[in-house]
Amino acid sequence: MSLLRIAGGRVIDPANGVDEVRDVWIAGGRVVAAPGDPGAKADRTIDAGGDVVMPGGVDVHCHIAGPKVNAARALRPEEGREAGFVRRSGALRSGTLGSVPSTYATGYKYAGLGYTTAVDAAVPPLGARHVHHELRDTPVIDAAFLALMGNNHYVMDRVAAGEWDRLRDYVAWLLGATGAFGVKVVNPGGVERWKQGKGDVATLDDEVPGFGVTPREILTALARAVDELALPHPIHVHGLNLGLPGNAETMLETLRALDGHRAHMAHVQFHSYGGHPGDLRRFDSRVAPLAEYVNEHPELTVDVGQVLFGETTSMTADGPVGQYLHTVTGRKWLSHDVELETGCGIVPITYEEKNAVHALQWAIGLEWFLRVEDPWRVALSTDHPNGGSFLAYPEIIALLMDRGLRAEVLARLPARVRARSGLGELSREYSLSEIAVVTRAGPARMLGLAAKGHLGPGADADVAIYTPDDDRRRMFALPRYVLKGGEVVIDGGEVRSSPRGTTFRVAPEYDREVVGSIRDWFERDGSIRFANFELGEEELGGTVLERRPDSPQEHKGHGGKHREDSS
Amino acid sequence: MATPSDPREKEKNGSGPLAIVEDATCVACGCLCDDIELTVSEGRIVEARNACPIGRAWFLADRGLGTRPPATIEGRPADPEEALDRAAGILAGARAPVVLGLTATSVEAQAAAVALADRIGAVIDPSHAAEALPRLLATARVGRVSASLGEVKNRADVVVFWGVDPVTTHPRHWERYSVEPRGRFVPDGRSGRVVLVADAARTSTAERADHVLTFAADRQLETLQAIRSLVLGLELDPGAVAASTGLDLEALRSWAGWLARARYGAFFFGTGLGGTSSVEAALLLVRDLNAKARFVALTMGGPGNPAGAEAALAWQAGYPVGVDFAPGYPRSLPGETSAASRLERGEADAALIVAEDPEPGLTEKARRRLREISRIVVAPDATARDATVALASATYGIHAGGTVVRSDGVMLPLRPALGSRLPSEREWLERIRTRLEALAR
Repeated sequence: MSLLRIAGGRVIDPANGVDEVRDVWIAGGRVVAAPGDPGAKADRTIDAGGDVVMPGGVDVHCHIAGPKVNAARALRPEEGREAGFVRRSGALRSGTLGSVPSTYATGYKYAGLGYTTAVDAAVPPLGARHVHHELRDTPVIDAAFLALMGNNHYVMDRVAAGEWDRLRDYVAWLLGATGAFGVKVVNPGGVERWKQGKGDVATLDDEVPGFGVTPREILTALARAVDELALPHPIHVHGLNLGLPGNAETMLETLRALDGHRAHMAHVQFHSYGGHPGDLRRFDSRVAPLAEYVNEHPELTVDVGQVLFGETTSMTADGPVGQYLHTVTGRKWLSHDVELETGCGIVPITYEEKNAVHALQWAIGLEWFLRVEDPWRVALSTDHPNGGSFLAYPEIIALLMDRGLRAEVLARLPARVRARSGLGELSREYSLSEIAVVTRAGPARMLGLAAKGHLGPGADADVAIYTPDDDRRRMFALPRYVLKGGEVVIDGGEVRSSPRGTTFRVAPEYDREVVGSIRDWFERDGSIRFANFELGEEELGGTVLERRPDSPQEHKGHGGKHREDSS
Repeated sequence: MATPSDPREKEKNGSGPLAIVEDATCVACGCLCDDIELTVSEGRIVEARNACPIGRAWFLADRGLGTRPPATIEGRPADPEEALDRAAGILAGARAPVVLGLTATSVEAQAAAVALADRIGAVIDPSHAAEALPRLLATARVGRVSASLGEVKNRADVVVFWGVDPVTTHPRHWERYSVEPRGRFVPDGRSGRVVLVADAARTSTAERADHVLTFAADRQLETLQAIRSLVLGLELDPGAVAASTGLDLEALRSWAGWLARARYGAFFFGTGLGGTSSVEAALLLVRDLNAKARFVALTMGGPGNPAGAEAALAWQAGYPVGVDFAPGYPRSLPGETSAASRLERGEADAALIVAEDPEPGLTEKARRRLREISRIVVAPDATARDATVALASATYGIHAGGTVVRSDGVMLPLRPALGSRLPSEREWLERIRTRLEALAR
């Protein structure tokens, strides 16, 4: 087995408590212990002297594949024309850029930043087949996706009936049937209510018409099911009232409702606003009390959903948010209701420095990074592409590491931002090790991906090598080398190879007795046959089952019948 | 490899073993019904239960695969390997190749065709692009409020068929998705829905509607704009309305009222809506109807898998139709990067045709050019067509599997009931690409 040595770099591997100059040894796509023989020779050595060596980046929350993302591509041809492109080169594919890059461009560009794993955070179960298609065409990076369940009719019916075991069995079945990695809840009950033309829910205790349940009941029932199934990743929550002034109260209430459950709160920046709905004048930052709550509850993690100034695309399963943004901005609006579960809203958006609300959103995101004391519990995200493209991650890193840079930007923003956000008083600066936590080690741990986010023996040999630079943006935008599974994929800023990534999924055990009841419901209310909903074995080709080390999960075949080959 | 996916052998009236394939997806029209039960006997599909007449004709057709060679060069039977070499040679030597067809095949084959087009710097353009363009351009201008078909089934209390005739063209649409099903919020099925038909002609669908509006085919934009104005509560002058639409204001007012009273309306339209402005007017009308209730706009779609071609192009190349890879990256400008315009300008010097014959969708000028240049045809009936290199493929949904995309974006698996000695289109395309890569080394 060929042995690779990354020699003499400053290895920053916070999961293993490492921040020192040492070698990293790689064989068979994994990190291995340094050979006992001090004279051992590597087949290839990468001289990383003077460089910083980190595990590959891990994105816990982004939107990169599937029907929603693809609808956004078709909706915004003007962006592809203006934002540049990736040129075909040798065996590498061409692609479009912009806020919603094509699949090949997505893979190359993530890798180009030193990111090697990304999780699409919102997939309608009915769109899972499409997502697997796109992920197979998204090179280099490993991926996973979360299945939407917060407005699922079968879920709500079980909650209303108090059938907890059946609910848990359904969650397990649905994850296995779609090849998903975890459970996502988006505006529980609110999307369903909105789809009925009765408007969004406003509080956790509003009733979802026709179902006799409340957002609180849906949320806590699913959180309990995820805990009982011991999934690698806790319930991933996009709560109520996203983007609305005054939603910090709902957020706090949501955190309290989740009491005792593990939970990951997504793009918290968009949920931390003071003021009153419909009145932007009193819009302000309410990060402090929310971050304090998170600080006191170790079972909670968050990703930020940082906003950056510029043009991007808002895309969400939260249908009413799409309509709200369209109403506020007057821009084009793509909406797509998906039967039995979810909505989808896509609206172009331009975040402007001179817009006090946008500027406050920028400050509120940074406040989150700086107010969560334990970097292991806050992940760097832009909710790509909602707050901005993943390509902006180096800029966020620079802002976190340099309070002077933050002050510089803050000084040119509307005065209201300084009055209504505490950002100016936060002098904390992230260390490189803390950056390594919020961009790789932390997200990997949140996801429960044991082989990601660290460089200990057994870890996947996903490695990013950066040359130190006072301009942190440049440093993190242009890694010198990136390795994926031990293979050099980026060298000197160029894509050198394009291995196919893996899609991680889970398939927890469940009581098979549930299937008949799911089938009856699905055949009655769905528009496709039950047998054609579940993905076949061949459709899950290239995916890998992820288990929680301490949980007895076992894969069960789905009896799929799909195949492409003939003859 | 050639066995049906999961056939249940059964004896029927002592006439020998029959294989049954359940939940097969039919690609004959845009419905993509996935509840077809196929019975196979002696290597043929002899029954297609649940299928409509269009579907039955598709499944039961005699494809005569046994009588034709798998590959031809210049019309003469050829060794497939030689044919592949010739195909790769033509594409490698082409300066301005075009990739055409593409809607009557699987997503897997469509994705393989996009990969090949990227590799050879081709213009790739599915054969339905010209008729899809008004919808795509209008959507890119104003967006679209839409839904999956199951939402219509479960929620729609008002269903509009605008310039489409599903009873004729999509026979099971009515029973499966849009009108008759009992849904969660429409427990009474047909009687729980108001069905509105607007068309220039008296269609079969109109015969079964609750209310019919007959418009002048060239006044659809004006008619839609008038209805939209009424929905928005604007006062219109009856004389002006009559002059612009040829219709009675009160008739339009009734229509606006039915639309506005919907709890969840569904507006189905097709390619007959006309140009981009008319589609945009329809999309804006539906969007406005969301101010007070819910309303969604959907296309009838199909036949076959045009939605799959748009999807695969969008995810790999960033644009749903008309992509030019010649600069080394994907470029798309309506009218500029279409295969038709490249053919019409006489620039195209080789064509790769995947699945259906693209000629019906082309202008006479484009067709003439297409007949002058080298043509590689990869299709079930390739060797019966006029081609420089013909590679006969297994028919998707009959002999070959894969995935297809319904008009609402839902992906469905194919369950081929029959085996085939022929490769699928995807396999042929990948073999061409492998050869091109070898030539490049």
